[in-house]
Amino acid sequence: MMTQNAEHILDHSELFRGDEYQQMLANKKALFENPHDPAEVDRIREWSKTPEYREKNFAREALTVNPAKACQPLGAVFAALGFERTLPFVHGSQGCVAYYRSHLSRHFKEPTSCVSSSMTEDAAVFGGLNNLTDGLANSYNMYKPKMIAVATTCMAEVIGDDLNAFIKTSKEKGSVPADYDVPFAHTPAFVGSHVTGYDNTLKGILEHFWDGKAGTAPKLQRKANNTINFIGGFDGYTVGNMREIKRIFELMGIGYTILADNSDVFDTPTDGEFRMYDGGTTLKDAADAVHAKATISMQQYCTEKTLAFVKGHDQEVVAFNHPLGVGATDDFLMTLSRITNKAIPNALERERGRLVDAMADSSAHVHGKKFAIYGDPDLCYGLAAFLLELGAEPTHVLSTNGGKGWEKKMQALFASSPFGKNCRAFPGKDLWHMRSLLFTEPVDFLIGNTYGKYLERDTGTPLIRIGFPIFDRHHHHRYPVWGYQGSMNVLVKILDKIFDEIDRKTSSVGKTDYSFDIIR
Amino acid sequence: MTSLRTTILDVSNEPGCARNASKSNIERKNGCTKQLKPGGAPGGCAFDGAKIALQPFTDVAHLVHGPIACEGNSWDNRGSASSGSDLWRRSFTTDMSETDVVFGGEKRLYRAVKEITEKYDPQAIFVYQTCVPAMIGDDIDMVCKAASAKFGKPVIPINAPGFVGSKNLGNKLAGEALLEHVIGTGEPDYTTPYDINIIGEYNLSGELWQVKPLLDELGIRILSCISGDGKYREVAYSHRAKAAMMVCSKAMINVARKMRQRYGIPFFEGSFYGIEDSSDSLRQIARMLIERGAPAELMERTQALIVREETKAWTAIERFKPRFAGKRVVLITGGVKSWSMVAALQEAGLEIVGTSVKKSTEEDKERIKELMGQHAHMIEDMSPHEIYKMLKDAKADIMLSGGKSQFVALKAATPWLDINQERCHAYMGYVGIVKLMEEIEKALYNPIWDQLREGAPWDEFDWKRQAKTVAQMDAQAVDPVRGANTNGVKTISFSNKSEIGDCESAIAAHGRNLVEPAKPGTNSTARGPACKDTFSDLQPSALQAAE
Repeated sequence: MMTQNAEHILDHSELFRGDEYQQMLANKKALFENPHDPAEVDRIREWSKTPEYREKNFAREALTVNPAKACQPLGAVFAALGFERTLPFVHGSQGCVAYYRSHLSRHFKEPTSCVSSSMTEDAAVFGGLNNLTDGLANSYNMYKPKMIAVATTCMAEVIGDDLNAFIKTSKEKGSVPADYDVPFAHTPAFVGSHVTGYDNTLKGILEHFWDGKAGTAPKLQRKANNTINFIGGFDGYTVGNMREIKRIFELMGIGYTILADNSDVFDTPTDGEFRMYDGGTTLKDAADAVHAKATISMQQYCTEKTLAFVKGHDQEVVAFNHPLGVGATDDFLMTLSRITNKAIPNALERERGRLVDAMADSSAHVHGKKFAIYGDPDLCYGLAAFLLELGAEPTHVLSTNGGKGWEKKMQALFASSPFGKNCRAFPGKDLWHMRSLLFTEPVDFLIGNTYGKYLERDTGTPLIRIGFPIFDRHHHHRYPVWGYQGSMNVLVKILDKIFDEIDRKTSSVGKTDYSFDIIR
Repeated sequence: MTSLRTTILDVSNEPGCARNASKSNIERKNGCTKQLKPGGAPGGCAFDGAKIALQPFTDVAHLVHGPIACEGNSWDNRGSASSGSDLWRRSFTTDMSETDVVFGGEKRLYRAVKEITEKYDPQAIFVYQTCVPAMIGDDIDMVCKAASAKFGKPVIPINAPGFVGSKNLGNKLAGEALLEHVIGTGEPDYTTPYDINIIGEYNLSGELWQVKPLLDELGIRILSCISGDGKYREVAYSHRAKAAMMVCSKAMINVARKMRQRYGIPFFEGSFYGIEDSSDSLRQIARMLIERGAPAELMERTQALIVREETKAWTAIERFKPRFAGKRVVLITGGVKSWSMVAALQEAGLEIVGTSVKKSTEEDKERIKELMGQHAHMIEDMSPHEIYKMLKDAKADIMLSGGKSQFVALKAATPWLDINQERCHAYMGYVGIVKLMEEIEKALYNPIWDQLREGAPWDEFDWKRQAKTVAQMDAQAVDPVRGANTNGVKTISFSNKSEIGDCESAIAAHGRNLVEPAKPGTNSTARGPACKDTFSDLQPSALQAAE
């Protein structure tokens, strides 16, 4: 049998299309797989596209198919990486940690530093204290972090390891110095999602610095100043977004602290030096953040507990839902302006005008188009609001990690616009539900993360990649999606796909040449 | 060049042109091209006009003889649709270099023709003259003649170098080239009493195909369309048609008239925009064919088809009524006859607050009065300044116009819909008018307009600034030149006949600045300057106070 030829090595996408492989696969199927009648397979496939199937699909109670969410510790690692020389330490089984690292690295194309206490069977039986103690000591000595932020996997949570007590004991045993910063958060995957883990970890870190470092230091006394704290939330565009937000703050002349600023660690330069840590919120700034006038969160559902905690420290707190577009960015800037008493500078007003200009130039192409969106609850909200501004209909908005409150908020958004009339929010649903929606109530475009490509292929709905993770396209995370300029990027991304689609539909040579136009 | 000058004088004297006919002798002597004002922001040149008029011929290789820009910037800029060959979209140019300028480009041109013949073997090659080779004396007529003889294939010189005048002149010169070199050089396989030519129709977005099925149904054959979806051979035998319909009279009236003169083909000026115009055109075609010998029953069949199609169209328009209630439209059209559109728009429930009659005949104007009442707001030649004022004063909810006025509408934060040549949608025929209604509905209800009107929400009304702006505008009203200059705008002319510079002066008069050069529009080829708004705190009331 002819396989590879050393003179001309074929890539897998070509190799297995060769006759010999095709024959082999066909034989295997016919002789060993005991396959169903292809006609029957087709019949079932077609049936799975019907309203009847959709009803059964939506009646699913136990099984989740293709979920659009990740687990708490992923968010915990993401948040912890945003602090100066901080090593995320996940107490639990090590396989989980490998997942977080690869997940983040595949999206950001950067190494992700994160360690595990590597619990095994004996730890599951006797408790993970030894693993935590040894783990803290080892990682402290090997990686020289300035802070170790501890989160947990399900394994530690199921057996009920008490992080507060364990860390105290570890310190007593001398694994790390007594005054060393080891904030922690319980982040079981069986509760919430990565956005919850982000929230818990950020709250854990703030609590550590503000409220007396787990009883080892006096609580900080707040002396209110005029700065503001900014929290981005779990955000696949953190690299571009944080830089854009800093630019906006600087244009406005606002004193600010960005909490959990991981924009540098996910974007280290290639110059021969490996940076295990880079940038991030300094520990001093994290502590001083208690004095700020207010704390602003870009993503409400990523920061519910954190904001409640901050509010308890007499700060004003404001949460947005991933503001995108003109109206939402206006709100964001006006809130900044109100809180800080700083005017919105002309430079930003001009950016606003440019976005409005771009929307006016192109909105006819977006107007009336139907979209399905899935992703984290805040991103879904921001995208839907922007689409409504453009006269598009966000027909299906689905968030696996969205809850009842989110659903209510989405429906209120739909009710506020004539274009929201036929739109509906789907909390707690998965991408297999989305499949039924796309077949039974088709839309023009789908917005979601990389996993949407299966839906794109299956349903023929073109996918616009906005969300996390984006594995199969590179560098999207470098471009902001916040502010007027970020909204412009989103607009361009949407328009590109719309025009690509027109081109695709008119590109058959000798058939549709008449509409394959240069000028669109 | 002598023959070119003669041709230019000839087309300038076009007796078929209503505008020309209404001129005094002295005016006529000056020719029909508008004198260009140096320093203005003019439209395309004669080459551009010739190229866009002929480019829709699909099986022809269009070879531009000149340096790169002439073809580089105009490659495939026309949304015409072809049912066959794709050759017309291929970009052929001699891409003249400095050496060619020094030693002459004729040999290069000849070799380019040769290579096209060898590689593509097209039905014909159109060679377009441009400024540089015309100035250095390249004789494309001779090169084409020699190439034709050598390669046994029509190689047609299109002699309209940019500097001879406007785009419109170029359209006409293109027509002259067809008359001189192409029309009458071939014979159709057969003729029928139902053969017509359609002249000055470009099949934009394939819109002629919305009408063609109706003609097919009546048994009427489009023998030749000049030039939308046209084929070389069809133009060559177009002189065998029984009648012709002239669609865009501004561009190719000379072709229709001379074909009548030379071959006795009667023509009428008509349009397929709007329900009544479509019906009228179908009737005219039937009438003319019958006069030329077609059986009289053609008219009965035509009438029956008209009744059927009209009923369908009026019914389809019905559903827009609730959405259009109370909405006011201003209609600034170029090649489209106004009254026919007016009737359809009114039927859909829109109120027409103004319509341009620049290209309408007296008869058309009477029709408009009939439809809109004696006080119909007919706009002879509205300057961008006036359009801006009208829209800014919120006297209209939407403007339908050509691309030229797009930015005036955008600056006045008013919905706008392109109904001229650069649009992306086919509005022709009975189906087209319904599509137009759909697009109007979309434009009217697009949420972006609120954004445009409202401005940044944090902008409080700055009374001081307003007072300053109003004072500035008052000063300008007294001394327009000085006022304009303080705005950094070189105003070219305040004559309301001039189209150039009016956008600037309109903006200048409202205390605005030109800050950016021309920006690419959504579907534009050549555009006027973009008028950028830097005084965003200028409230409508301030404008009204100033006006």
